[in-house]
Amino acid sequence: MRMLRDRGFEVIFTNFLIAEEILSSALQEDVDVIGISSSSGGHMPVFEDLLAGMRRQGLDDVLLVGGGIIPPRDIRTLKEWGVAEVFRPGSSAEDLIDFIRKNVRGVSL
Amino acid sequence: MFDEKTLTESQEAEARWRAAFNRLGERMESNGRPSETQSGLPIKNAYFPHDIEHLEFAQIGTPGSYPFTRGNLAAQYQFMSWANQPVIGYGLPEHTRERMDYLAAQGMVGYFGRPFYNLVYDLVSHEGLDPDHQAARGRIGQCGMAVYSVRDMGRLFNGLDLRKINVVHITYYQVIPALAQYIAYAERLGIQPVDLRGNSMNWYHQSAYVGMSAFPPDQALKLAVELVSFCTKQMPRWNTTNFFCYGIEEAGGTAVEEIGLMLAFGKELVRACVVAGLKPDDFLPRFGFQIAQANDFFEEVAKIRAMRRIWATTMHETFGAVDPRSMQVRIHTHTSGAVLTAQQPLVNLIRTTLQAFGAALAGTQAMEVSSYDEALAIPTAEAATLALRVQQVIQEETNVQAVSDPLAGSYYVEALTDQIAKAALAIVEKVEAQGGYVAAQQKGWIRAEVERSAARWRGLVNSGERRIVGQNCYVRAEEPEPEIFEVSPDVEQIAIERVRELRETRDSARFERAMYDFEVAAKSFAKQKVSELGDDKLMLAAIEAARADATTGEMMGVLKSALTWGPPH
Repeated sequence: MRMLRDRGFEVIFTNFLIAEEILSSALQEDVDVIGISSSSGGHMPVFEDLLAGMRRQGLDDVLLVGGGIIPPRDIRTLKEWGVAEVFRPGSSAEDLIDFIRKNVRGVSL
Repeated sequence: MFDEKTLTESQEAEARWRAAFNRLGERMESNGRPSETQSGLPIKNAYFPHDIEHLEFAQIGTPGSYPFTRGNLAAQYQFMSWANQPVIGYGLPEHTRERMDYLAAQGMVGYFGRPFYNLVYDLVSHEGLDPDHQAARGRIGQCGMAVYSVRDMGRLFNGLDLRKINVVHITYYQVIPALAQYIAYAERLGIQPVDLRGNSMNWYHQSAYVGMSAFPPDQALKLAVELVSFCTKQMPRWNTTNFFCYGIEEAGGTAVEEIGLMLAFGKELVRACVVAGLKPDDFLPRFGFQIAQANDFFEEVAKIRAMRRIWATTMHETFGAVDPRSMQVRIHTHTSGAVLTAQQPLVNLIRTTLQAFGAALAGTQAMEVSSYDEALAIPTAEAATLALRVQQVIQEETNVQAVSDPLAGSYYVEALTDQIAKAALAIVEKVEAQGGYVAAQQKGWIRAEVERSAARWRGLVNSGERRIVGQNCYVRAEEPEPEIFEVSPDVEQIAIERVRELRETRDSARFERAMYDFEVAAKSFAKQKVSELGDDKLMLAAIEAARADATTGEMMGVLKSALTWGPPH
């Protein structure tokens, strides 16, 4: 988060239990990117609900990425569902920043 | 500790050594970076007697004597080894029980041949919810066991004699509901609290540097005092508090911060218990510590020796403790998870072996050795077995158990122990200057310190200065996909059905009465000052609620509401 901020990103941190909380925050703040960090399992239903909610609310062009302890098999499924990228342990902030710059909807950074 | 002649020879020896070392350095294009520990403490490249000349022998002492730098007891492992205490927990209680029985059959054992079960609750329980809550989906039986009630405890412990086992309840903030349910379960078997042995976490201050919702730190401190007060009177064999030093390390804190911040917190808790009317020698012997064992081999060993010294001196000098058990640091080692990699996971076996070896040399009381698949999922049975074998090979094959505190007297280890002790005490002073741990937490100071260390670590790894095999060096392009443990998919539905059945079949009149009383007790507790604690009304009401088959989610709901749970303060 600190590294993203140092590079000029406005970062809104929110802890959450359910996808609705993320969606309402995303709508309110009119975000370009949603990043979900999950290191304790239980990520699949969150992404499932989030993606459904994003479609419902017209947030389709918001970039959705994930990170943390997410096994390769789940990453494949998540990408099929519409998650743009998942950053596994060992990824750097640079990887994330590069990806966002290349893939975020037409905002000049 | 050395005479003048030796000191002179020592200085001269260093001078000669340094000249030779520098000549080699010139030839070998050394990068010129000064040596330091992973905490950032400067270290030399060879140590000499004069490097510990400033120490008094009394600060090093002997195994089993104050200040316990060299170990709590005169005997370290000669008569009894450390306890195997791997973390176990996933799926339904029956699934967790399978793993408990399996590991016990593989030789997992605690003190005096007693089975020790180190059990972790699932994400739903950690959030203080029930499995039929909207947010429970995907989290039931994940990262821990789906145990939410006295009946679930029955499924977990069915057939085990609670008087003959130790049970560690690894909770997040649902400390009191879990203990209450365990007590109520024991009662149903005709076993009194006084005969129960095990551990509660009693740790609520992760919120200082972890972003999940929590009880406000001042209320949380009272909850910790409440449990200490109750157990000191009713459960003399129960280890009330587990100082979660490990959490600081996992969040990115250095070895120095790990023990410095926790000593500062310990002082806060001890002060609060005293204000509540308890005497230090009555409750200190039941405090324990969960300490990380990370990669810097000698720093981690010295860290433990330093912690023993500064805890003992602080408890004695500040709080007047005189019982040796009040001053001893009883350690559950958890090898570092943060330094393990998802890439080339079998390499983690090597890391954890070195870490466990360090913990053995430092004199730990119990070990959880992370499995090699730690960075992927919870352990497969095979990975959990190998983690246990790490402990067993050290115990059976290396002969390190023959000698107490075998690294004592090493010029490096003694110098580094003292260096870490002083650096940790400096942190304690900074925290105390802000009015204590809770005040420092509320100001955001604790968080800022840990985050700064985490950012520094991150920077060192990204730049390649901190080398991690398989990640930023010796990387393999293609990785075979490892076998990953999966919780059985029908766990969710079964857990939900069970909690619904519980609600339908319990004595609803008794439940309503007990929950009403618990709510009243919680609201009153919220208003009490620490000095007004000591009648244990909250604990007693919680136990009655547990007897009435209240679930973790129901009980936590009452506490969250009464104590204003929310985003970290």
